[in-house]
This record gives sequence, C-alpha cells and structure tokens, in this order.
Amino acid sequence: MQPQDLLYAKTHEWVHVETDGGSKIATIGISHFALEALTDLVFLELPEVGRQVKAGDSFGEVESVKAVSDLYSPVTGEVVEVNAALPDQLGQLTDDPYGAGWIAKIKISDEAELQNLLAYADYEKQCAEEGH
Amino acid sequence: MTASKLPLPCQLILDGPETGGWQMAVDEALLEAAADNEIAYLRFYGWSEPTLSLGYFQPYRDRERHAASRDCPLVRRQTGGGAILHDRELTYCLTVPLAHPLAADTTRLYEAVHGALVDVLAGFGCVAQINRGPVAAMSEEPFLCFQRRAPLDVLSGSAKICGSAQRRRRGAVLQHGSLLLAASSHAPQLPGLVELTNQELSPRSLAQSWQAAIAGRLQLRLEPAELGETARRRARLLVRERYGSQAWNQRR
Repeated sequence: MQPQDLLYAKTHEWVHVETDGGSKIATIGISHFALEALTDLVFLELPEVGRQVKAGDSFGEVESVKAVSDLYSPVTGEVVEVNAALPDQLGQLTDDPYGAGWIAKIKISDEAELQNLLAYADYEKQCAEEGH
Repeated sequence: MTASKLPLPCQLILDGPETGGWQMAVDEALLEAAADNEIAYLRFYGWSEPTLSLGYFQPYRDRERHAASRDCPLVRRQTGGGAILHDRELTYCLTVPLAHPLAADTTRLYEAVHGALVDVLAGFGCVAQINRGPVAAMSEEPFLCFQRRAPLDVLSGSAKICGSAQRRRRGAVLQHGSLLLAASSHAPQLPGLVELTNQELSPRSLAQSWQAAIAGRLQLRLEPAELGETARRRARLLVRERYGSQAWNQRR
C-alpha cells in the first residue's frame, strides 16, 4: 500500500478500505510520522478479535521510551482480524508501517464516518503543523 | 490542532502524602483535565506509605523479583517503564495539552523537566547530569526503574536519581516522575541525594525551585491552586474502578 492512497485519522492511524463479499473491511495501521515520533517501541497491545469498537475509541496501546500511547480506532465496527505476530516483531511496524506493520482489520458498520478521515495531502499538512 | 498560545496557564498544585491508588488517580484526572480545559497542571506530592508502582506493561508476578518491597502495597501506573519503590522521594506530575510545542514528541518533555532539575540541583550545590547513553535491551532490563538507564534520565555520577514516564492520549500528555531524596529500606540498593551528595534537601525547597525552572523551560504561567472538585470526583471514581482494584493492579 502507498501512503498517498490511504485515509488518516487526526490521531495518526491510517485506513485502507476494501470490499469483501458486500462488507467494507478497514485495514488499520500507524502512520510513519507517528512512528518516527514514538521511536524504540517495546510493547504493543492489540484489540481482541470480535470486539466492537466505535470511531475514536482506544483499541490498542503501544509503549516507547517509557511513554504509553493509546491507539484509536478510526472507524466503527467489529474487529475481525489482528496482526497477532506483530507484538513479537515490532521492527515490522517501523520498517513497513503500511504493509507488514498493519495492526487490525475492522468490518465497518458506518461507512459515512469515512468522510471524517483525512486524505493524504490534508494529513501531511496536519503533520507539518504538529512538527514545527 | 492549533498550537497553544504561550505562556500557557498552568495550575500548580502542592499536595501532601497519600496512598498510591489516590495519587495515580489524581494524575489521570489531571491528564483528562488538561485535554478538556486546554491548560497545563503541575503537581508535587508524596506517599503515605512505601509503595511499589508497576509500569503499565509489567507483569504483576515480577514483583517477586524484588524481595525488599514484597510487603509494600502495589499500584499499577498508566505510564510505561519499570517498577518504582516510592518512599523517600519527591514526585511530580505534569499534564500538558498536546498542542503545546514541546508535547508533540516524547523526548522534549523529558528533556525540559529533567534539564530544569539539573539546573535546580546545581543551585543547591549538587552535580547531576542528563543521561545521553543508549537504551538498554529489554532482555537485560532489571525490574526496578532506577536500576535501568534510559536516555534523558537524571544521573548523579553513575546513579540514577530521577526518572520519568508518560501516558499520551488524544488531547494531552501526562508525565510523572520521581526524584530520590534518600535510600529506602524497601529498596536499599538505590541511593538518593542524601547518600550521593551528603545533603538533605527539603522537598518543599526543591519543589519551589523546580516548579519555577519547569515553568521557564515550558513557558507556563503558574497559578497556585487546589485540586478542583471535578478532578477530585473523577479521582475517587478512578480509585474505585481502577487503581484500588485487584483487577487493574494484577491485570498482567
């Protein structure tokens, strides 16, 4: 996946939406910008498969340099799959954040919420403002 | 997110000793308040009894690795890092809206608060420095935070005297940390300022100097305050639902 093709939450999670048998499935990860700020990840906690999440809910946590950060779900729906190997291979998160470093897949229950997410250009603008 | 206008108002709260569960609950309530009210909070406090706090991801069973604190009450923090035996120390908590220019990444807040402490200690005639060394590999890390060495810890010689940790949420960041004033009988292997510098500094004087130095580095406008009723109510709830519960403290 290319970062230009993804949608973004203001809280730095990326979203890739695919259609699977009539359902919309969102693959979610953490943006390269956020991972650069986090540095030296030591722990990652994933959501449980089957859990119902709302857009904006904390659905995972990550620790780096003694800082624990919440991960927020960009969409509402059911967690249908998680990247279970990732907590033991945190290098994948930083080496390939838009590929092997994906976090979870969520079956979307409210497609209209996708309109609240940022396109790449707008997300880049937000990052530039935060990074000053 | 619009950048905070500086200097940012900051409520300064000087609290006394309380239980670990209460202190962690108040810290979290102030994290929420910083996000809701878009101001900062700086709090200094103590501990009513020697208490072991676990880092957020530490397994509960690991407390068995530290016999000297086995009989102390335990609380799990919201923040990362290793276990701390809180006894003869000065503890601070700083919560800042994420829109503050120094809150955007993890290291700049550590640098600001710890740098302020190094300056303050120098004023008391104590030489300390910021650790610029590398992060130790996890497999080698000891149970106690103060036996670990992380970048930006405050060291006196080779001994760690102050370490901090953070919780980052939407809207605000919480950073709290401990300055070891003297060794505790529950963690006798960790020297404090008394053992390292032969000086017994009063927590009140240290807090007074440190708060001014932090405010200077972060461009905060300090406003002396008491813990507000909203935060107090929230903290009571957090003690009941989280920090005072076995389910939370033994969750891993």
